[in-house]
Amino acid sequence: MMQLLKKLHKWVGLLIGIQVLLWLLSGLVISLIDPVKVSGRQWASPAVAEPQFFGPTTLLEPAELPAEHVKDALGIDLTIRHGKPVYLIRRTGGETLVNGVDGSLVTIGKSDAEQLALQDFNGDGEVISVEQGMAPDMETRDHSGAYWRIDFSDWANTAIYIAASTGKILERRNSYWRVRDFFWMLHIMDYSGRENFNHPLIITVALVAIWLGISGFLLLFGSFSRNDFFFLRFPGKRDDVVITLIDPMTADPRQVVIRRGSNLFLSLATHGVSLPSLCGGGGECGKCRVRFEIAGLPETKDLDLRLVPKRLREKGYRLACQHIADNNMTLYLPEGTLALLK
Amino acid sequence: MLALKSPVIARSLHKWLGLFVGLQVLIWLGTGLYMVLVDIDFIHGDPLVRNMQKTVLVPDLSMPGIASLREQYQDATKISLRPVMGKTFYGVTTVDHRYLVDPETGEVKSPLDEKTAREIAKYHYAGEAQVSNASLISSNPPSEIQTRRLPLWRIDFNDRFASSFYIDPYNGSLATRRHQYWRIFDFLWALHIMDYQDRSDAHNRLLIAAQIAGLTFGITGLWLLLYSFSGRRRKKEAPIR
Repeated sequence: MMQLLKKLHKWVGLLIGIQVLLWLLSGLVISLIDPVKVSGRQWASPAVAEPQFFGPTTLLEPAELPAEHVKDALGIDLTIRHGKPVYLIRRTGGETLVNGVDGSLVTIGKSDAEQLALQDFNGDGEVISVEQGMAPDMETRDHSGAYWRIDFSDWANTAIYIAASTGKILERRNSYWRVRDFFWMLHIMDYSGRENFNHPLIITVALVAIWLGISGFLLLFGSFSRNDFFFLRFPGKRDDVVITLIDPMTADPRQVVIRRGSNLFLSLATHGVSLPSLCGGGGECGKCRVRFEIAGLPETKDLDLRLVPKRLREKGYRLACQHIADNNMTLYLPEGTLALLK
Repeated sequence: MLALKSPVIARSLHKWLGLFVGLQVLIWLGTGLYMVLVDIDFIHGDPLVRNMQKTVLVPDLSMPGIASLREQYQDATKISLRPVMGKTFYGVTTVDHRYLVDPETGEVKSPLDEKTAREIAKYHYAGEAQVSNASLISSNPPSEIQTRRLPLWRIDFNDRFASSFYIDPYNGSLATRRHQYWRIFDFLWALHIMDYQDRSDAHNRLLIAAQIAGLTFGITGLWLLLYSFSGRRRKKEAPIR
């Protein structure tokens, strides 16, 4: 069962491991960047707090506005914009602004847009350029209609977007937002639109990835033994065993003292005795064979049976990563293991 | 640790980090799976509503108009024309109040009573189910309308989504709608960004700490994969005596 899980875990990891890593990485980057900077609020003037009244001016009734402006309106607001009473008219296609005194259509010209952007921006920089855009691009993707883009020379490369029809601040973009948006794209795997996370690609990868998580979680239970938590025991209650190591290439045996019950492969490794291994003690490569004395020969484990040939098992060979130091013992190591040590 | 070879380090790190963040990584994968599987427009309740894009009818000049409203509400900051159940009303916003006014009579209709709130909810509800409950929420809002302006009428529908429509008694609009799958999404989102209180701050220390551990966990996992698949080809036996 554990072997099956391990296999599943490895193959799923091979298949989508890179994307899982990208999810972890992009998630981290997204969380790390301060949202106040991402939204541009960091360098925006606080909104006007005082209420703005209409004053004594006589205003047009909605019925007196030119018919083409109010036709098919979803909502009409008489309000104050930029100090003047205006009608803000909402339609399916977007919003328009009509002068409340004479009914003329208000349009935001280049210099108006620059003025509005300068009023909003309180960061450290000058206007570099004012450009018009007719249709939404990546940075204005939540909006429709024409807009002005005002770029500033601050080090965050702020660009303020203003709706050409209403003068509304549509977005405040900057390098923080752009970096975040790139990682957001990686996170939701929508490489063209950067906004849809219900597409078949991510659903497929997520359905595969959940198996990486489930198998890994189950494997967790098998990979820990009680002895891994030795540090939770009473201090001073040490219980050690002596392992005598014999390398046929070196004359003198060597002795190491390790905690009773600890994993042979790992505890020898922490004493500088590196047994041959490719997998690092995972029970996969079958290289960390050591020979036990027949007198204290432990029972074979599943992985001994799979990875150690029968004739060697009968001679006393076992995988060090599958056995624990339960008593004082003598181990015969592969030739040259100790020779490499001082 | 210096004496340890890299696969041993990778394996120990992967194992111990797995103990500490393994469950959270599984939660990230599981909650992420829900979010990608369930269509976001459905979560937002788009299929549950109708009559959301009604046009307004501009009142003719024989009716009391903007001028008389400005007279009556001297501290008005906004006067709107808005559709409520297909009929056009004036909405007046003053410094500290809001009013819904019938353009024909000048009569103030707000705050709307329960009966009207139920009617508005049904007018916008695209389903077949009946209203099961109506209540006015003026304080201690449930977390699902945390950021909304109160008071709101909550109109619950007896459908399989446990839909709730929130009607603003001062302007007659459908302020928002919530249902069971939205609530699940919101809860899973809280687990995903590890902000269990406000469910909105993805810039929190707990999350960032878990993410750093999680990323290390992921890197060691991928690192182990290299060893695990590179060992496959070589079949040379260790020298044994």
